[in-house]
Amino acid sequence: MSDLERASFDLLHEKVQRWIWNRGWPGLRDIQQESIVAVLSGASDIIISAATASGKTEAAFLPICSRLVTENAGQGIRAVYVGPLKALINDQWSRLDELCEQLDIPVHRWHGDVSSSAKQRLLRNPSGVLLITPESLEAIFVRHGSDVARLFAETHDVVVDELHSFIGAERGMQLLSLLHRLDFALKRRIRRIGLSATLGDTRVAADFLRAYDDQRDVRMITSAGGDQEVLLQVRGYRQRPPREEDQQPEEEEESVRSIAAHLFRTLRGSNNLIFANRRQVVEWLADLLARISEAERVPLEFYAHHGSLSRELRTDVEAMLKDGTRPTTAVCTSTLEMGIDIGAVKSVAQIGPPPSVAAMRQRLGRSGRRGSPPVLRAYIREQEIDARTPPHFTLHPALVQTIAMVELLLEPWNEPNDVATMHPSTFVQQLMSLIAQHGGIYPDRAWYLLCAAGPFRRIDAAAFERIVSGLVVHKIVERAINGLLLLGAEGERLVDHYTFYTAFITSEEYRLVSDGRTLGTLPVRTPLSPGSFLIFGGRRWCVTAVDERQHVIDLAPSKGGRLPPFEGHGFGDVDDRVRTMMLAIYRATTPCAFADPVAAGLLAEGRDNFRRLGLDETCVIPHGTDTLLFPWCGDRVMNTIVRALGACGVKASAEDVAILVDDVSPVDTIAHLTAIAADDSLDPHTLAATVSNKQEDKYDGYVDDETLNAAYAARRLDVPRARMVLTRMIGEFDENCRRSVAAVSNGSNKVQPV
Amino acid sequence: MTVIDTIRPKHREAILQSLRAGVVPRIGHQHIQVGRANEVTALLRDLVSIADGGAVVRFIIGPYGSGKTFFLFLVRAMALDKNLVAVQADLNPDRRLHASGGQARSLYNELLRNIATRSKPDGGALPSIVEKFVSTALSDARTRGVEVEVVIRERLVSLSELVGGYDFAEVIAAYWRGHDTANEELKTAALRWLRGEFATRTDARAALGVRSIVDDNNVYDQLKLLSRFVRIAGYGGLLVCLDEMVNIYKLASAQARNSNYEQILRIVNDTLQGSSAGLGFLFGGTPEFLFDTRRGVYSYTALQSRLSENRFATDSLVDYSGPVLRLSNLTKEDLYVLLRNVRNVYASGNPAAYLVPDEGLEAFMLHCSEKIGDAYFQTPRNTIREFVGLLAVLEQNPDTSWREILGSVDIASDRDGDLKMDDEDELTSFRI
Repeated sequence: MSDLERASFDLLHEKVQRWIWNRGWPGLRDIQQESIVAVLSGASDIIISAATASGKTEAAFLPICSRLVTENAGQGIRAVYVGPLKALINDQWSRLDELCEQLDIPVHRWHGDVSSSAKQRLLRNPSGVLLITPESLEAIFVRHGSDVARLFAETHDVVVDELHSFIGAERGMQLLSLLHRLDFALKRRIRRIGLSATLGDTRVAADFLRAYDDQRDVRMITSAGGDQEVLLQVRGYRQRPPREEDQQPEEEEESVRSIAAHLFRTLRGSNNLIFANRRQVVEWLADLLARISEAERVPLEFYAHHGSLSRELRTDVEAMLKDGTRPTTAVCTSTLEMGIDIGAVKSVAQIGPPPSVAAMRQRLGRSGRRGSPPVLRAYIREQEIDARTPPHFTLHPALVQTIAMVELLLEPWNEPNDVATMHPSTFVQQLMSLIAQHGGIYPDRAWYLLCAAGPFRRIDAAAFERIVSGLVVHKIVERAINGLLLLGAEGERLVDHYTFYTAFITSEEYRLVSDGRTLGTLPVRTPLSPGSFLIFGGRRWCVTAVDERQHVIDLAPSKGGRLPPFEGHGFGDVDDRVRTMMLAIYRATTPCAFADPVAAGLLAEGRDNFRRLGLDETCVIPHGTDTLLFPWCGDRVMNTIVRALGACGVKASAEDVAILVDDVSPVDTIAHLTAIAADDSLDPHTLAATVSNKQEDKYDGYVDDETLNAAYAARRLDVPRARMVLTRMIGEFDENCRRSVAAVSNGSNKVQPV
Repeated sequence: MTVIDTIRPKHREAILQSLRAGVVPRIGHQHIQVGRANEVTALLRDLVSIADGGAVVRFIIGPYGSGKTFFLFLVRAMALDKNLVAVQADLNPDRRLHASGGQARSLYNELLRNIATRSKPDGGALPSIVEKFVSTALSDARTRGVEVEVVIRERLVSLSELVGGYDFAEVIAAYWRGHDTANEELKTAALRWLRGEFATRTDARAALGVRSIVDDNNVYDQLKLLSRFVRIAGYGGLLVCLDEMVNIYKLASAQARNSNYEQILRIVNDTLQGSSAGLGFLFGGTPEFLFDTRRGVYSYTALQSRLSENRFATDSLVDYSGPVLRLSNLTKEDLYVLLRNVRNVYASGNPAAYLVPDEGLEAFMLHCSEKIGDAYFQTPRNTIREFVGLLAVLEQNPDTSWREILGSVDIASDRDGDLKMDDEDELTSFRI
């Protein structure tokens, strides 16, 4: 036993020590030792970062529970755990309850599926540990605003699980705001403990935890077991180029069938996760795998799992994975990315390029427990090249992007998290919630709480005034005679509905029912009529009835099937670093270590085409009467260039790695770009003003245009970097022209790329 | 071929029907039993020690379908052979070791209904046990020339030392009186009392003149009395087999679980300290029943420390002397012999009537492991069900050969051969 281990163990209360002893643990893990010391003998915020299933929850709660047993306290909740998913909360509840039962600490859960009687009991007699979602915490603020100080009077620690899933998202902003409001209501700082599984850059998480506070003091606890073996493969599949006359649906295509066949052969017989970027892909893969299993007359092991499926179906799949007696593979979206305990998973498959390096790392981390290394196979489809393939698609960008992301994963590198965003929509929600909590609030106080001292730092006094005036127009808020802000008629209506608590958009959906059992939900816009077919939950159905009023669709099992159109794209913005890495890969000639033969062939083809197009020397090439730009930068910068070109009256669009400039020659394009690069007055807000639909978030509809422009500029545009990239591109173009001229004058017959 | 090799139609039908349904046959275990030699030897030693007046407790732990029940039945059969009395019951929500709503008494009822001796292996042996006690007392009285009542009182004296022993002795004496005076009603009442069928004290008092009955609170005490009684009656001892212990794990209330575990603790303590004699307990349960620290036996700290497994017996090192006996999976060889045995039963022991040759058995095992997946055949139950299904198809479709049915394995692997090209599943190792 090391000194730290003994010292940390001795810090714990005797009952907690006994509990650990009873579990038969061989010892405390490094993160647990460090966090015990940090929690029990320090007051700073803490980030605990380690792989999935390495005892993070215990690392946080062993010392917290020890404190709860040691100290006496009055009535009130004594520690709060915030988790992003109901399933995760249920899972952690059963784990914590085991520990707390022996310590006589009550553990409560509070989310949408918890009975109201249990909630009432807690409200009457607040105690112990509370496990809650951000949305439910919001609901407590709105519905029991005056009780907040009483309920949390004894709270000294807030644990945020899966911290990385909150960073940069609306929910993260909401959570920060709620935690800040909690501090404010109690007039003291509650310690925050963030748990994060993603390996790699943990500084971002540390910055996020109290992002708005310049005095923040965060202690990082990272698992030392850093050097870990992983097994990787990127598999390529050639897809026939699509033809007009094709009647065949996409899921019947040969490459899709070979992917399914390979998944079936390699994954059958063990527990695995297959991640797809869209629910639609989840559905047709699960269906294909089910059909293969049926044809081979073997028990079905592949089940769909995504957010539109009903809770029962999802928990069934989770239970099968966890149970481990029968091999189970879940075909899922990011739903299983989080740390719900699903037992040991042998390998992870990724269909199509991963949404981000961080997500890929998270997914990889779900596999390989109990001694075996994590395994990830990425399955990438690329079109066969024919005469009609546009030049930028002959580079096989999806495959190269995946390879680049894997390289960055190994580096190791993660996307920096975007904390600079303004979040006006979430601000509107928080303002309404604040008014509801206090029954009315003075604007200066609201501004101080949310903006000046709170998380909405980027909303200055002027913007605050502008947004509030806009809300008054929309009848969201009213100003009383003395200036007090009250909820308006529309605002009251919004706050009264349960959908108010979510900071992100939840569209109204149809409930799918078969034989009285709810299967899940589909977005309302889906055109479905009786007699039509669909695939859902990996099985085929026929629609028997549609109830428009109650939003219910009745289904019967069937042999036919059509894919339901799901909303949501599931792709994040590609980062600058990924595109830079892609360029480096195209320029290199070394074979890729983790590509299968087909992928290696596709990579070689992409590299050949890269050189054939002259992209190693220039980044501007003609394509018919159009021009293609290859800026090799992230989506935000590409978007900025596209918008800037648009402002010059040039039609341009971003297509994967390239920007297609419509009907403009390369020389003219460069002229435009030069003008843009030289224009010092180029203002992101003016560019944002040219964008027609900027309402992305839930309450953006109530926000004035100027604020929306500012928010768009902060989120989607990066003018200084775009200038830098353009200057580089123009320089390369000029250099290349000079060289070509020199080459021609030297009598060389090398084809000039432009 | 000798007569011994043939299998009686009654046995054949019973075995096959049970196997097809995935349950354990009640008779004819000897025809299909394979493997687990070490476990069987260990239990045999236990039975000998019970017969010598020792006490034994064993937890037979294995996943669903691993053969726990089969093993319990086998041990029970061996116990009867050793002249022990065996009682046996499955726990379920209405039958537990401890309860307040009659569920413990219901377990006791079930145990006594299934009471078996060598001469009455199918259960219902209580009357003959009591009868044996009376008749040995009779002959003893005759040789010694004393009153039978005196001999019986003498013999029952040792019972009175135990908790509730006085009334137990009274009931046996009442049986004797019924026997002596040809009072059938009294005899039946005594047997009913012994089987725990009296629901109220008033009834028992009116019928037998005793003040107590078997109820939820004294089930274990009653079993201890019974074990001493059967020894007095001339048997080696009592073996209590309790299966499906997982039902305790499934109880929703923590308090109910704990009081059941308390009963188990009493049993374990009594046995390990040697304060009970000629009594053996076998508990059959799944691993979560024992190991789950939240709801299982291990949630009860006192039991966890007593039952924790020998830390040195890992992997290939074994220790069969501890109270926990984990049923290991059958080896491939065991499974092969098992299939041979099933085939033999199916053919009524006549090798000429075998539906598949040895080669077919191998093909079947290959079919199971490669086509459908090893995971489904780790337990004998599934394998046997599948195999009995195959034999049934072969028997009813005499034109079909086993190759046609199992041969599809080969066809499938041939088809895979075409796809060999993209089958290179070479993962590359990195360190992050």
